[in-house]
Amino acid sequence: MRLGLMLKGTSCRALVVEGRSVVSVAEQRRASSLAEALDSVLSSLRLQFGSQITDVTADVGRVLASARPGNVVAVRISPRPPADQFHNTRLPAHIEPAVTKTVHVQGGHDLRGRPLATLGLDAFLLELPSILSGGLRNIAITAVGSTASAEHETRIADAILSNNSDMRISISSDFYSGAFRDRDYTAVLNSALMQSGEELAAMLDEAGKRHFPAAALSYARNDGGRAPLARLATAPVHALRPEAAMAILGAATLGGLSDGEVVICTDEGVSVGNMRGGLPVARSLIRQGYEASLATNAAIVEPYTANHPFRPGIKTVVADIRTSQDTPPEYGLVPPLPLARDLTLVGCAATPLTAWIDRLERVSGQADLHRVQHRAEEEASSAAVQLGAGPTDTRIIESNVYAMPYGNPGIIRIRVQAAGGASGSEEQALNAHAMEATA
Amino acid sequence: MSTVLTPDDVGHLRTGAHFLACAIDPTAIHVYAGMIQEAMQTRSVELITVDELAPDDLVVSVGMVTQGLFISDMPPVGDEFTGCIEAIETRLGRRVRAIYSLAAANINGIIPLMVGLQSSLPVVDSDPMGRVFPLISQTTLTIGGVAIAPIALMGATGERAVVEAGDPQRAETLVRALVTELGGWAATVMYPCSARQLAEHGVHGSISRMIHIGEILEAETSAESKFLSLSELLGVTRIARGRVTHIEGLSRPTDLGLPAQPSSVTLEEETTGQIIRMEIQNEILLVLVDGAVAAAVPDMVTLLNSEHGSVANLDDLRVGSVVDVLKLSAAPQWYSEAGLDLAEPAAFGIPLHHPRRHHG
Repeated sequence: MRLGLMLKGTSCRALVVEGRSVVSVAEQRRASSLAEALDSVLSSLRLQFGSQITDVTADVGRVLASARPGNVVAVRISPRPPADQFHNTRLPAHIEPAVTKTVHVQGGHDLRGRPLATLGLDAFLLELPSILSGGLRNIAITAVGSTASAEHETRIADAILSNNSDMRISISSDFYSGAFRDRDYTAVLNSALMQSGEELAAMLDEAGKRHFPAAALSYARNDGGRAPLARLATAPVHALRPEAAMAILGAATLGGLSDGEVVICTDEGVSVGNMRGGLPVARSLIRQGYEASLATNAAIVEPYTANHPFRPGIKTVVADIRTSQDTPPEYGLVPPLPLARDLTLVGCAATPLTAWIDRLERVSGQADLHRVQHRAEEEASSAAVQLGAGPTDTRIIESNVYAMPYGNPGIIRIRVQAAGGASGSEEQALNAHAMEATA
Repeated sequence: MSTVLTPDDVGHLRTGAHFLACAIDPTAIHVYAGMIQEAMQTRSVELITVDELAPDDLVVSVGMVTQGLFISDMPPVGDEFTGCIEAIETRLGRRVRAIYSLAAANINGIIPLMVGLQSSLPVVDSDPMGRVFPLISQTTLTIGGVAIAPIALMGATGERAVVEAGDPQRAETLVRALVTELGGWAATVMYPCSARQLAEHGVHGSISRMIHIGEILEAETSAESKFLSLSELLGVTRIARGRVTHIEGLSRPTDLGLPAQPSSVTLEEETTGQIIRMEIQNEILLVLVDGAVAAAVPDMVTLLNSEHGSVANLDDLRVGSVVDVLKLSAAPQWYSEAGLDLAEPAAFGIPLHHPRRHHG
């Protein structure tokens, strides 16, 4: 049995799933603190299910979103600093005040991984004491071309850590985007949330181990997957917006859908996402209008419109989670899941472990391309196993190669998603694959 | 007639510039649009028609030439274009009177506005491509015999060069090599010519067309209504509404020194089941419907989200995506013999002549 948790403010909501079936009513507790609410819910569920709970996965997105971001020093590495105010890197308004100091360091690489300028390490070391003396612990480092070479980011990070090993450092090459401002924004936001991530991970770990000592403890990620709690402290940004993905996964799980379309009717409107191989279809960025995008793999959710294309042969699950269902949903939608109230919790309980490889590769032709793609698939599978998935239930969900318009000849982007740790929806996919294999 | 552009115009231009080059990630356009709108709070930029200039006035193209890091991954410092204009003025011993876009789409559609704000030079509503082509030699000015050089270029590193080359193809080769070593892009100023030459050999109304396209696409109307408005404005036709069934990288051999790898996207027409194949290399070069040519470069091909009527970025296509494949004709110069020599599929390594070469 698997337990899905949703943390919000000082309340906690939970639900237990076995396979595709919900086996408990949702437990909800509000207390004077989040830790108390969590403890109360887990205590109640321990009495009901005890050691039958094998996995606990928490959606902490709302807690992270409402947390006060920590102050951050932004280190930006490029060949030259901006010449005027208009060419400064702009952060979205919600995070801009968290950056208390910006430091420019000469450096950066081109797409081939060649340095564009010598790293200005000596000048940075002169400035480092003033950075460290401010009492700040969060530093975000972003370099031009760090998708091709992270060398300058890691050398600056090493220089900081060798002076103060307690600093929390977020480097932009951990987040894939071809845009400097997206990586800068993501690294800054990640850095600003690291303390909250640490505290949440510690709280969940302590409570989880006390009530369910044998269960695997995870947090829900924006792509519809999960990862072990320890990762929450270093990459909280991947846990910031999992709710939409978990709702899609929850509806798909209840509807027995591994591949197809999920339509969700809410009080705010109707949205649509897609499932592939037991997981929501994801893209590598969360776009925010014309502002910087968040470089995290996240489920693609779009508004449903009257022009939505009818797709014969494509299975669809429609879930109606409106507060009142006195009137039928818009667009003549007929929900087979009319009372699916806790989709996000079901999704959290059902989610598998996911791992991504997203990087640039140099190739010389089709054969070479197949070789590097195969290697990336192997690495993604290994990464899923490292997270805790069993080697035999790990599989590739997405494996794509992208040409780089106006890029250097021979350089392509490879993007692979692997998943493991069977979920209700995924079990279906595995069973279907097994049937195909034996047919 | 001259017009002082507004922040709203810039917003529409951003969308129109993306529509005409959906194969390229629009982040750099978004970044520039934001910078321009902010700069407009204290400065203004004037859009003029070429006939508002004296015939002998010196005009130059401004544009990014790219091969390597995206512009959005190596943000401009801000002094690159003004540095190039200074270099050209020094080299020619004359003042530049106005600037125009190197290309009428994507980042180069919007760059002149920022340069105009920085330099106080007016922006001419003309360009030498009427769309985007990957090579700087693929221009209507080349067809008209206007010299491409001297070319000034400057990168984010602050390094600057002036290229003297008589042959546009040699200029392309030299500039591309410099761009690669500058990290991925260079701000360039090229095709210095008289306003008369630009009037005779350029493509006109480029900036205003992108603004009009943006107005249509940003309207609160249905996808079908937007398509009908685009048809009326530009003669856009819909080749297909298709669902992506296959995406393939390195799908064709290439040895032409063109930036980037070829790739292909296969779609299935939603109602007829016809197989649509798009051949891509930086831009969408060719569309085949059940093996027959439906569009071929220099025709422009772009993609719209069939449900929302927004531009469908090629990067966002996944197996299962449903898009409208749209075609619009390029400027008339491109369908001349000289134009097709420069820009039909054969110029991109696809062994095929444009249908208009045979049928007039």
